[in-house]
Parts: sequence; structure tokens; C-alpha cells
Amino acid sequence: MIRAALTAELVKIATVRGFRVGTVAATLALPLTSLLVVSGGGLGARDTVTSGAASGSMVLLAGFGAWAAAVASSEYTQRTLIVSLATVPRRPLLYGAKIAATATVAGAGALVGAALSFALVAAVTPPGHRTGDPVALAGTALTAVAVAAVGAAVGVLTRSATASTAIVLAALLLPKAAAGLLGSLQPWVVGASPGTVVTQVVHGAQLSTDQSFPAGTTIAAVTMVVTAAIVVCLGGLTFARRDG
Amino acid sequence: MPEPLAIEVEAASKVIDGVTVLEDVSFTALPGRVTAFLGPNGAGKSTTLRAILGIDHLTSGRATIGGRRFREHPQPIRVAGALLSPDAVHPGRTARGHLAVVAASNGLPRWSVGAAIETVGLHAIATLPFGQMSLGMRQRLGLATALLGDPAVVILDEPHNGLDAATIRWLRTVLRTLADAGRTVLVSSHLMSEVEQVADDVVLIDEGRILAAEPMAAFVGSDEPGALEKRYLALVGS
Repeated sequence: MIRAALTAELVKIATVRGFRVGTVAATLALPLTSLLVVSGGGLGARDTVTSGAASGSMVLLAGFGAWAAAVASSEYTQRTLIVSLATVPRRPLLYGAKIAATATVAGAGALVGAALSFALVAAVTPPGHRTGDPVALAGTALTAVAVAAVGAAVGVLTRSATASTAIVLAALLLPKAAAGLLGSLQPWVVGASPGTVVTQVVHGAQLSTDQSFPAGTTIAAVTMVVTAAIVVCLGGLTFARRDG
Repeated sequence: MPEPLAIEVEAASKVIDGVTVLEDVSFTALPGRVTAFLGPNGAGKSTTLRAILGIDHLTSGRATIGGRRFREHPQPIRVAGALLSPDAVHPGRTARGHLAVVAASNGLPRWSVGAAIETVGLHAIATLPFGQMSLGMRQRLGLATALLGDPAVVILDEPHNGLDAATIRWLRTVLRTLADAGRTVLVSSHLMSEVEQVADDVVLIDEGRILAAEPMAAFVGSDEPGALEKRYLALVGS
């Protein structure tokens, strides 16, 4: 049943043009933004091809976060949830499949986007820059999975595409924008925010101490994943209790 | 042919924001019979049907299919198929895409999608986005969704809405055939003349309470055409 429910959620995504276009747009956001940054002279002296390829990560994360929120909330905005519940009445199964499907698509899209981005940036990077560690770009995929899972959970919680998209974008952008208001919490909050986690994974040494997670990059990534899991659990509890 | 399964609603109550929408609702819909679920708008018909399928939670009481809650069945759409709203499909999804989602959700083979489309006569518009379909087409797609898993129980909430005369006649035949094959058919409708022709049993609900639950013949007490409507109006008021 788990496999069937997951397949159904993937088919839901595949059978609506808007969802397919959103997947492609979010995937291409990383290579196109990185290409713009690098070809516009945005690569610093210490930057590598890998860090250049990750320079559009925030756009990719915003894209997949908003996309996942739109996919999940569409069950409410388009009133399709009653058919979903009439075919998969076990709510934890339906909810889990929805989260897993959006996270899987986002993770796969981010991997493809990162590979494309690395290839494009490598082709236009001026001589003299090191390659860096391209495997670190997998951190983008991990972060995209967490952001998409949160996006889908928030979509279910709010039952609104607009509200859930706004919340996802705020969660991505506010930690850095409001960093000055956080005081001593700044490195803990900013350091575990999705955009900064990617930066730490790809070129952590270049970040200032108030942006780096004090306990290290691995713990920062774990903190981000645990935070995402808490939001996903909250969504699941709400979904289980609410009428369809 | 699926195993015959009855729908049993026992002392079902539901309170929403302090308002009682169902109060001690009990009835049984039996295999091999078409049970008409009647009542005015807001009587609690849709809430009851949604509760049977676990879409809405009951405050107290129990609704089961074959003695188990719907969610407890391992392959739900083999047990019950439902048409609860003709608009519950994403407007960008085609009929074929929608049925593919439903089939995948319960591991049904791909050919079942084509068979369901043929059954309800939607083959000509199977690739049309749902948003461009007429109400009648949407009802047919909803019926295809309900029948996709060849279920033992069929639950239809106002399936006659938006249908033309020929399709209503076709639906009558479908409902009778399903019941004659041993399935449990529970259908809510406001179309008394139609219900009178096809239903074996009647469950009447008003203001969240059951007013009657008995065989059609006993309920109307007459063979006279229009007797159901007269009896219905006598009980719920005009």
C-alpha cells in the first residue's frame, strides 16, 4: 500500500501540466541563476567552480519549496482531497506519500539542476579557479528535500497555496534578513537555515563566524533536517485530526 | 464478483462548532439492494456519506462497511467506490489522468482505466482537461471513479445532478445492474421520481436525525406514481 500510495502521488504530479512545468522551472533555476552570477563576474578570487555552481541554490530552494506547497495545498484549493481520502483512507499513509513524493521530486530535480549547473559554470569560469568538490553539491539536494517536505507540510497545514508559499519563502529568507535582531542566536538560526547550510557544505571556510553554525556543518544539516521533520509531524497530526 | 458487504451506521453523531449536524443516526444498507438516502438540503446526508468513508470524523458512534471501518480494509476501492462531488478533480488533469491516479493508489492494473472510461462512455473526451468538461461529463467521470475498483459497495451523492434524460435513464440501469449483481448501492438524491423507480429501501434524514429507514413499499404504502414524493413531503414538510 505504501508503494501504491507513493506512486499515486507521483502520478498526481505527472498528470497536471502546471506541476510538471513547476518541476522543470525549479530544476533549471539553479543552473540558470548560477550561470548569470558567474558570467556576470560574480565569482570571487577564492571561489571554486563548485561554489559558483551553487550560487543559485537559494532560488532553487525557493522554487521547490513554493512548488511543494502548491502541490500539497491544491488538494484543498481544488477540492480533490475527498477523492484522495476515498481511495487512500489511511491518513498517515496518504500524508506520508504526499510528503515523500514532493521530497523525492525535489531531491531528484536538485541533483539534476546541480549537475547542469556544474557543467555550465565549468564551461564559463575564467581560468585560475579551482574545481572544488562537486560532490558537495549533493548538499543542495538534501536541502531541497527538507525544504520541499516543509513546503508540502505547510501546504497541508494552511490549505492555501498563497499562504503556504509566503510561509516557505519567509522561512528561507527571514533568518538572514532578520539576522541582526537575533543577537547571540544569530549563528545558530542563520547557520541552520537551508540557504546557509548549502553555503557551509559547498564553501564553509569562506563564511563569517556569525553565519556559520557553531557546532559545525554536519550538526547544522542535522538541525535543519530535524526542524523540517518537526514541521512535517505537526502537519501530519493536524491532517489526521481534521475533517477532509 | 466482489464479496457482498453491508453498510452499517450505528448511533452516529457529529457536532461541529457546537452545532449538532448528526444525532444518533443508525441504519443499514444491504447487499443486492439500492438504498435511497433522502432528505432536504443540509439534513446531514453528505456528512453521513463522508463519515462512512472516513472523510469526516464522527463525534460518537460508528460507521462500517462489512463490519470494519473503511480505512481498515487493505484495498479500499475494492470495497467501496464513491461519487461525493462531481468537482473533486484537478481542473488541469484529464479524465484518463484522474483515473490513472485512482488506479495507482490501490495498485489496480492500467487496463482498468480504459475499461472504466468505456463503461461510462467518456472515451471521446478522455484526454480533455477536467476544467473543460460539462457537469454531465464530470458526473460520468465521478461514476467511473466509483466503479474503477469493481467495489462491493457503491456510494453516490446526488449523481443525477446535471445529467440529461438519456444519461439519467442510463444511470438507472447502472444502479439496478450493480444491485442485482449483489452490490450494496447507497444513493442520495433529490430526484424523487427517479429514486422511486430504482430504490428498494429508503432512509430519510432531516435535521441530522433519521425519520425513516425501511423498504420502499412500506415507506410509500402505495403503488401510485408520485407516492414517494407525497410521503416524503408529508414527513419533512414542503
